[in-house]
Amino acid sequence: MTRKKVKLAYITNDSARKATYKKRKKGLMKKVSELSTLCGIDACAIIYSPYDSQPEVWPSPLGVQRVLAQFRNMPEMDQSKKMVNQESFLRQRITKANEQLKKQRKENREKEMTQVMFQGLIGKSLNSLNMMDLNDLGWLIDQNLKEIHKRVETLNKEANNSQVVAAAATYGAGPSVEVKISPEQAERQAFEVNIDAMQRQQWLMDWINPQEPMGFGGDEVNNLPFGDANHNALWSSAFFP
Amino acid sequence: MARQSKGRRKLDIVKITKESNLLVTFSKRRYGVFKKASELATLCGAEIAIIVFSPSMKVFSFGHPSVETVIDRFFSGNSTQTSGVLQLAKIHRNARVRDLNLQLTQVTTQLDEEKKRGEELDQGNKAGDGYRWWESPVEELDLPKLEHLKASFEMLRENVTKRVEELLIQTTNHTQFYNPNSAPVNEALPTDPNNDVFDESLVYNLGFQNGNGFF
Repeated sequence: MTRKKVKLAYITNDSARKATYKKRKKGLMKKVSELSTLCGIDACAIIYSPYDSQPEVWPSPLGVQRVLAQFRNMPEMDQSKKMVNQESFLRQRITKANEQLKKQRKENREKEMTQVMFQGLIGKSLNSLNMMDLNDLGWLIDQNLKEIHKRVETLNKEANNSQVVAAAATYGAGPSVEVKISPEQAERQAFEVNIDAMQRQQWLMDWINPQEPMGFGGDEVNNLPFGDANHNALWSSAFFP
Repeated sequence: MARQSKGRRKLDIVKITKESNLLVTFSKRRYGVFKKASELATLCGAEIAIIVFSPSMKVFSFGHPSVETVIDRFFSGNSTQTSGVLQLAKIHRNARVRDLNLQLTQVTTQLDEEKKRGEELDQGNKAGDGYRWWESPVEELDLPKLEHLKASFEMLRENVTKRVEELLIQTTNHTQFYNPNSAPVNEALPTDPNNDVFDESLVYNLGFQNGNGFF
């Protein structure tokens, strides 16, 4: 394996070119041989170098003739259907690479906007975003809301099926972690969450507790976003104009 | 995610037994062989022909300058023709190939950069330590958390909408900003503040319902 990347252009230095030719020709022959054995197929290679008028071949001059005869026996169309030269092969590779690039960019964009979204969730200002960012962000939020909605429905269905009567008002007391909730209670929770904005703001504000250390004490629910005073300030500028 | 394949491993060079593996190997390695041949031709100016039969008896071939010319040369006892026309064709072809190689290098470099960026972004997105529970997958959250999260998201969406409106208003103000005293040279810019272009309904059409994110 080479240590440095080789530029894809004719090697002008004569000795370097010759050395490269020897190595790579050998490697290419080996690869063709492996391909033939591993897959149980016929193949041949013919290589003319600038250094020799006789070609180097695989598997052997006779073997090459045999394969060429087989090749020539095929209908013209079959011969040329999968035939490429440098130009067409490179074009194919460029096309494929462009597709991969487009896909990777799209993935990266989504990852990036996901970060932006979570930051926005905890109060970071949206002022640095342009229209396109906001558009993508909105779409991403909607996707997440869809997922949440689906999950909530699933959980509610499970609660219906399991017929577990929810015990005491565990929700009222202060949420602890895994609790089976009856459909009525689930609905009530949903309702309570959807009430008017003022109360909602108050509810969210309750989670802000600047005195509380940013640790994980026991109550893991109690740490949506706002750990410290700085976030608090950002939050207020974004949500309390 | 469980590994689908075994990854790189030492391979005995004997015929592969499992047919699905054989077909995949053929596909990958054939491409690899062509790629190596292409590089050899470019780097060293070699003339090459590779002919490969597939397990289903289709034939793939790679040739530089072309499969035909190399085969002809092989059969004709190797005299390379040097007529003027062929030389000219060769020069043009080499120029095109050089350009294509450059283009390919550009795209693959960009691709590597984007891949690297993707990995960096993955690092940043790790919902580490259980601290940022709201970044965990939805399946891991209980109902109270989900409701809480839903409310936060809805709040955020409202803010996004507000911000979009703000930006639209700013843009409208900008286009109204021209000197009313200058003589109108041609049709004046529309200055109607109720210009349809900035219709508020645009705000809600910006992909929120269309699901048009990320093009």
